[in-house]
Amino acid sequence: MINSIGKYYKHSATRLIFEGMAKQFCLFLETLGMIGMHAVTAARGLGFVDKKELMYQCYRFGITSLPITLSIVSMSIVIVTSQVALEMVKQGGGHFVGMAVSILVVRELAVIMSGFALISMIGSSLASEIATMRVTEQIDAMRVLKVEPVANLFVPRILSGMLMMPVVCVIASVVGVLAGAVTAELAAGLSYRAFFESAWLGIFAKDMFVSLGKAVCFGACITLISCSCGFEAKGGAKGVGEATTKAVVWSFVAIVIVDMFFAIAFFF
Amino acid sequence: MIKVQNLTKAFNGKKVLDDISFEIKSGETLALVGFSGSGKSTMLKLICGLIEKDSGDITTSDGDIAMVFQYSALFDSLNVADNISFALRERRDLRDKYSPDEIKKIVAEKLELVGLKGIEDKFPSELSGGMQKRVSFARAIVTEPNSILYDEPTSGLDPISSTLIEDYIVRLKDETKASSIVVTHQMSTIQRTADRVIMLYDGKIVFEGTPHQMLKSGNDYTKQFVNASLKGPMTMGLG
Repeated sequence: MINSIGKYYKHSATRLIFEGMAKQFCLFLETLGMIGMHAVTAARGLGFVDKKELMYQCYRFGITSLPITLSIVSMSIVIVTSQVALEMVKQGGGHFVGMAVSILVVRELAVIMSGFALISMIGSSLASEIATMRVTEQIDAMRVLKVEPVANLFVPRILSGMLMMPVVCVIASVVGVLAGAVTAELAAGLSYRAFFESAWLGIFAKDMFVSLGKAVCFGACITLISCSCGFEAKGGAKGVGEATTKAVVWSFVAIVIVDMFFAIAFFF
Repeated sequence: MIKVQNLTKAFNGKKVLDDISFEIKSGETLALVGFSGSGKSTMLKLICGLIEKDSGDITTSDGDIAMVFQYSALFDSLNVADNISFALRERRDLRDKYSPDEIKKIVAEKLELVGLKGIEDKFPSELSGGMQKRVSFARAIVTEPNSILYDEPTSGLDPISSTLIEDYIVRLKDETKASSIVVTHQMSTIQRTADRVIMLYDGKIVFEGTPHQMLKSGNDYTKQFVNASLKGPMTMGLG
């Protein structure tokens, strides 16, 4: 009996599925461990950050990405507000539109949409840059010159993410609420005065602090994951592509998980 | 001085270097030659610590080991001056040692040594292959190393640029008195730069001698290599 089960298992699709899942799980743990190790090595290099490089990375993370980030955030708000505002006005809840939009923007949309925009613009760029450095032996050259590459490359990038992501989020929140006000006026004829009178009622200091905390965590996750995935790239152009894809996928998943934990911790 | 004793390295169970021993004196240049995939670049990476050995010993005299990479490996986001001064600015034990003016002076000196005066502000993408190689020479010698490793320094260059690079290898040896290893496939590079030649095949040393002995020896491996012949004991990878 046992023998026949064993024989069946040896050749079955079930085996392939289980083996595939086990392999994927091992790869997941391996990537998680690799990111953790890089985080520790980067933390050790915190005291040696190159200020000029930090300034450049802040400019790259915060300034160059701003037009696209603000466009994505404001367009998301336009989509949501245009669908919600008219219905609320029709149902007699027009005086809550501003509050609903401001809660949505400040607590969630500004930070998560900025995160997605920054992953696709900056995260992918960081991953491919470091992956290219890996496959063209530039990282080996750093090692031979006795410069610790993780500390040298990761620290200014991670710090720039942690410093600039909250700045981007604050600007995105302001622009988002303004976009909501304009959309409510155009789509549902709601006056700016009515919108902003209720908008202030929905925003508390706690919401802003939680969003800023979330933004710092998102900035750290996006830059750390992107740098780590790029750093582990192997082979040539294919390896650079795979590292970039992995960085984008892992960053998306990471910020959604972080967002969920923040929601559970502060709004349950 | 570089001393390699009973060095062994395997990848996925296949021995790339099998019980290799040799020694290079200060100021001596050794050419490491052999088939593609015979473990030459692995040897350089083991000596400069980029990969871990499986067994054996590598001893080098105190001081830095520099490496010139096959495709230069210049930092493409930095200009020539920042590339050369990278170790002086970023290495923890050196970063507070030199003032910006001193670094500027050192960079100018090293560039002059490799015949590229006044290109400090150019980026690697603006330079020819030969110029990139010479900048990587300047970057390698900026910390005054005791050993310099060259990984196929003339590959991909035209014959004239190759000769120029070979001349600079000799010049750097005279200037720095460093022990050098030159991995190469080119006979001209061996003839012009090396005091001694070691030939590797299938992870083992199959010839050791001077460049002159290599040309005149009756060794089947060196004969096949020198004559670029398909017939001979080296068949690995020939299909």
